Amino acid sequence: MNWPGFSNLFGAWFFLAMVPLIILYFLKLKRPRLEVSSLALWQSVVNDQRVNSPFQKFRRNLLLLLQLLLLALLVAALMQPFLRADAARAEYLPVLIDCSASMSAVDESTGKSRLDLVREQVREMIDGLHGDQQLALFSFSATGRRLTEFTNDRRVLTRALASLEPSHLPGQLDDVLRMAAAYTRTFTIEKVMILTDGNLPDQVDFELPFGLDIKRIAPGGPNIGITEMSARRSSAEEWEVFVRVAGSSADIRSGELQLFENGIRTATETIEVAADESQRLVFPVSSTDAVLLEARVVPAGFDALDIDNSVWLTLPAARPLKIWISTELFSWQHAVRVLPRIDLNTVTPPPAPEYDLLISDDDKLTNVEAPIQIFVGVIPSDLQPLIEPAEDVASVVDWNRTAPLLRHVQMTDVQIGEKPTFAPGIGAKDLEERGYEILVDGNTGPLLLQRREGLKISYWFLFHTDRSTLPYRLGFPIIAANAVEAALKQASLSEVAAAPTGVLPPISLQPDREYRVKNPAGEEVTFRSSTTGVLTGVPAAHAGRYDVFDGSDLTTSIGTGLLNPLESSLQVADEVRFTELSVSSTDTSRLESDQPLWWLLAMLAFVLMLAEWWYFQRGRGAMT
Amino acid sequence: MSTGGSTQLTSLFDNAILNQIERMRLKPRRRLTNRSRGEHLSGKGGSSTDFADYRDYASGDDLRYVDWNIFARLHRPYIKQFQHEEELHVVLLVDASTSMLFDDKLLRARQLAAAFGIMGLLSVEKVSAYAIHQKADQPWMLPPGSGRARIRSLLTFLEKVEGGGDIPVERAIETMLKFHRGRGIAVLLSDFLTLGDLTRPLNLLYSSGLEVWGVQVLSDSEINPNVQGDLRFVDSETGETLDITNAAELLNIYQDQRLWLQESLDTMCRRRNGRFLSLSSASSLSTILFDQLCRLGWVLR
Repeated sequence: MNWPGFSNLFGAWFFLAMVPLIILYFLKLKRPRLEVSSLALWQSVVNDQRVNSPFQKFRRNLLLLLQLLLLALLVAALMQPFLRADAARAEYLPVLIDCSASMSAVDESTGKSRLDLVREQVREMIDGLHGDQQLALFSFSATGRRLTEFTNDRRVLTRALASLEPSHLPGQLDDVLRMAAAYTRTFTIEKVMILTDGNLPDQVDFELPFGLDIKRIAPGGPNIGITEMSARRSSAEEWEVFVRVAGSSADIRSGELQLFENGIRTATETIEVAADESQRLVFPVSSTDAVLLEARVVPAGFDALDIDNSVWLTLPAARPLKIWISTELFSWQHAVRVLPRIDLNTVTPPPAPEYDLLISDDDKLTNVEAPIQIFVGVIPSDLQPLIEPAEDVASVVDWNRTAPLLRHVQMTDVQIGEKPTFAPGIGAKDLEERGYEILVDGNTGPLLLQRREGLKISYWFLFHTDRSTLPYRLGFPIIAANAVEAALKQASLSEVAAAPTGVLPPISLQPDREYRVKNPAGEEVTFRSSTTGVLTGVPAAHAGRYDVFDGSDLTTSIGTGLLNPLESSLQVADEVRFTELSVSSTDTSRLESDQPLWWLLAMLAFVLMLAEWWYFQRGRGAMT
Repeated sequence: MSTGGSTQLTSLFDNAILNQIERMRLKPRRRLTNRSRGEHLSGKGGSSTDFADYRDYASGDDLRYVDWNIFARLHRPYIKQFQHEEELHVVLLVDASTSMLFDDKLLRARQLAAAFGIMGLLSVEKVSAYAIHQKADQPWMLPPGSGRARIRSLLTFLEKVEGGGDIPVERAIETMLKFHRGRGIAVLLSDFLTLGDLTRPLNLLYSSGLEVWGVQVLSDSEINPNVQGDLRFVDSETGETLDITNAAELLNIYQDQRLWLQESLDTMCRRRNGRFLSLSSASSLSTILFDQLCRLGWVLR
């Protein structure tokens, strides 16, 4: 049994008020005097009553006793008693509130969202807060956000709680846990409380410096939603649009999937999904121009989460892939020229400033840009002190078979007439520090490097392919085809995927220019494109359509969706594994916060006061 | 005695009541009389004309009382015995303490004392009166006297009795007995609201040859007190106080105590061949005298 605690022990000093109360009582107690002929009978009455009623002495001072009791109740209420919910009550308690998309899931019967329920529980917690206890509120979805510092100011905490809104982002614990851990340097934090619906990744890469108390509320009702949407070009004018719909309930739920092209419904399919049975649908779309697609799920019955019911996807306009290859690289030109939907240029210098793919034997090219660049027989200038070319035969030792450029390529027994060699004391680590990844290792040094710079990828053949047997191998046209495929993807000409919420994908626009981005909530934010004409870093916290304006002209539209199978499934993780231990989540319909008792005592005092007033007023009224 | 015109003989009651009282007689339970002559018939062996009994002649008997007719028939002397006609002493004790000043208690006590006294005097009895008033050893008294001429003195004495005394009734009885001589009736007119014990004074009265007639006179406020709440009662005689909390709750106990006092007084009087009556001062004198007392057999009309 937990004994009640007191938040304000100094209030006990007010018990001393009983002394003057007793003194005043006896000083001020004045009974009406009534002269009687003789006290003989009344004395007998009193004696008789004392014999018959052992509590008569107390009854004589009933008013005093009631007043003392009233004072005791009031002082006890002033001391702010409470029943401890947990013997080891944390003085500083960070409360992490899950605001991920699944917290928007509503209950079919009550219509309350998960976040509403959590809000109610935290509000109770705030109401039961004691003077020496402080809370810090955090919210988290894909990232963490601190709502308040450690405080026991109920107004501040309640205001922060009211400002909480569910996001359209998946839930991630790492970030917010790090924020909470940062407080351990200045506060003694024994425990951190997480309030969630349990829809969390079951593994978190974080070393806990404190105890974790994961309180889990019941998940929302049944849900179906779109978890994936992508498109692949099947011909010059045809796209195949793929949409995956998943459900959360064990029983099969049905609905319709509608596809809109630039706002016009063009297709409708019936869907039936269950928890472990997603449905993948394919829609053919014919277009050579850019099209904004919207896939919309219309559930047949109740749907707990409506964020994941719509997803947008922008299909780019059809055009040939622009490729420039150095005039001397005949082998590459031969390999590429046979591929469809390409616009090959071999004039040196390149006549256009931009290409989708650039294959060159000279790294000194200026005024030309391409998202994918392949340099043949060139050692990057920043690596020249580290790698020395040698006139010798090199052979391939190993290669990265999963690299997009080398997919399905066999490099064994390729003979190379040049031998790039590491300078003494130099190794792969030094190249990695400079941003290079080795794709093909030779016997004395790297043969093929890859470097990513933002959206741009460059491949560096450190030997000239014409001085090797590679152009005569089956793998060479495959490498060329892989390079073209990568360029197609990069230019979104072959495959596009719907963007999930979080950050908008890079948008190619005019360089170094200001654009207004209007989000689905109607808010507008201005961003400036990079010098290379890419608009990046546009936050996309809401699922929906984002319009990009150049002045007052609509430049382009791009859409996002939740697109998170975990969030849509409303799946509950019973246990979250951390670096060193696992933490179980516990169901709770109500937080076990300390129960304040002051209001109960105050209520008792009030009732006692009313009873006392009634009792004595009744007696005096009747005496007349 | 009769009155002429509208002149009232006494302020205690009007002449019409007085006329009726004059026709009434006291009716004691036993004949506790004095040796001196009176109109009350005492035991056999007296010298009245009322025959009582026969007894064998004994040497020294007065030959005048021998029944010669029986001697002629039986040849044995028998003495005729006659009822005694002896004097009854009526002692009136009026409680004139402060407690009797409430409502009309003292007035009613004085009226009753006057009535009993007049009945005694008209029966040629000795009547004396005492008022319980002061602490002093000398009581406020009317010495014994008899005869119609004494009525005036008795009424004057009782008219002058004032309340305000502070001597308890039990002490007053003992003081009175120091001055009293003679057997008869002791009429105690009091509220008997005393903290003392009445056993001893009543025993003294009984052993003095007095038949105790206790008349308790209570006011309505004593019979049915209307009190509520927390009060501080002040004794009218002693000034002592008593705090009472929620008096309304105690009324039942009060009534029990009052009835218990009545019963115990009645028992004490009866055990001493006496009588007891508790009456309200609010009751009219006529009702008390001509109804209650007659029905109870205290007086004869």
